[in-house]
Amino acid sequence: MRLPRFEYLEPSDLEGVLNLLATQGDDTKILAGGTDLLVRMKKGLLKPKTLISLKALNELSYINEEDGCIKIGARTPIADIIASDLIQKEAFALFEACEKIGAISIQHYRGTIGGNILQDNRCIHYNQSEFHRSGRQPCHKDGGKICYARDEADRCNSTCQSDGATALMALGASITLAKKGTERVVEIANFYTTDGIMPFAMESSELLTEIVISIQGGKSSYKRLAYRSAIDYPIVCAGVFLSASDTKKDEIEDARIVVGAMGRSPLFLVQESFSLKGKNLNDTEVFKKVADSSMNSASTFAVHNVGSTLEYRCVMVSEMVLQALKGAAQAVVAAKG
Amino acid sequence: MTTNISFILNGVELSYEIKDHWTLSHLLREEMGLIGTKEGCGNGECGACTVIVDKLAVNSCLYLAIEVEGKTVETIEGLSSTEGSLHPIQQSFVDNGGIQCGFCSPGMIMSSKALLDENPDADREEIKHALAGNICRCTGYIQIFESVEAVKGMGGQNE
Repeated sequence: MRLPRFEYLEPSDLEGVLNLLATQGDDTKILAGGTDLLVRMKKGLLKPKTLISLKALNELSYINEEDGCIKIGARTPIADIIASDLIQKEAFALFEACEKIGAISIQHYRGTIGGNILQDNRCIHYNQSEFHRSGRQPCHKDGGKICYARDEADRCNSTCQSDGATALMALGASITLAKKGTERVVEIANFYTTDGIMPFAMESSELLTEIVISIQGGKSSYKRLAYRSAIDYPIVCAGVFLSASDTKKDEIEDARIVVGAMGRSPLFLVQESFSLKGKNLNDTEVFKKVADSSMNSASTFAVHNVGSTLEYRCVMVSEMVLQALKGAAQAVVAAKG
Repeated sequence: MTTNISFILNGVELSYEIKDHWTLSHLLREEMGLIGTKEGCGNGECGACTVIVDKLAVNSCLYLAIEVEGKTVETIEGLSSTEGSLHPIQQSFVDNGGIQCGFCSPGMIMSSKALLDENPDADREEIKHALAGNICRCTGYIQIFESVEAVKGMGGQNE
């Protein structure tokens, strides 16, 4: 498959990229690893006139510990995150998520964490070749008025299948978006719009520069289900963060449960997360109840559009959440000794 | 738009005039005639187009040719010696039945080479991990893993 023509620009520093983004229109896309962007371009889903490469921006590739936070440059390769002791120690869910993104020969050395967060939503009916799509009317995401995933749906039901975003939302991460002369910090939970067509609250002149995870003394875990782990996107995944009370070491103080690949954005399950507060870390019966409740909450958002049957994916939400809860709880107990 | 790029291909330094939208697999196959590198899916799913760029196995179908400027590229054509004898990894694939139709073989062999160059004593799990991005529809993988295991410890011998 050939790529459509485009103009390739390679600014030498961050200022150069932001200057270009400020002057170019919506026809411009950022090229980091390209493992998502170039595939979409080959399929005619995106037709940018200009690509701005981040190849020269080594300043955006780092993992540091600073002021009680982990700071990750947006262009950091997935492989560097997997290899980082700091991430393995303080943000295990992100390590587990990155380990499962693509195969070593495909994406580990090309794919970046920023690109993983900013991958567009997917749908089995939309992510097809131009030829396939030309045989039927365009769907909402393709500029039309039809949804092939849910009958008579008035909006796009594409699914956010980012491993990184689900893990980072469970970790309570925030991201820095820069544009010429200014920058803003957004909590990742507020970054998603739940709009399948425009999944992120981000302007075309903005660039994702940094991901910040505050170290909160808890433990996290990420579990995902996919047909072929090295190649396929998750059909359901869950990220969990748990921390224990300082005074009663078996008691859960804070909990965050996020379910991914089920809705138009990763789903932060507030009610289920809150219900874990004060519960015992070793109480698997409570975990089972919360996992079932998570399944009920997340199922309402899912449509049949990522390859497996809807029934199977919904049932497996419960299993993924349970495994992630157990994983995080065991890590908390082990850390407390 | 055309751009002149310089890079090292299979040990030979060269410069080439390319179009900005060419992928590395397009440059290798369609422009340079190095058709040993295969293009299967073109989407980074099958791994048939795997080549080694700066010692790392990458999918050449998702790698812009313009981005190999200044880098070192190895393809399957660079493995055999000038006298025509096969690289130990290639020979092992032949000897151990790691090849049937052969379409995945260049990608499998380049992924294996990247692994063995870095870790000559890779075990079965590490081999499986390194080849997870390469799809084979004939052999069922076992013979491929055995081929790589048979050659481990001598990955760079023929260079």
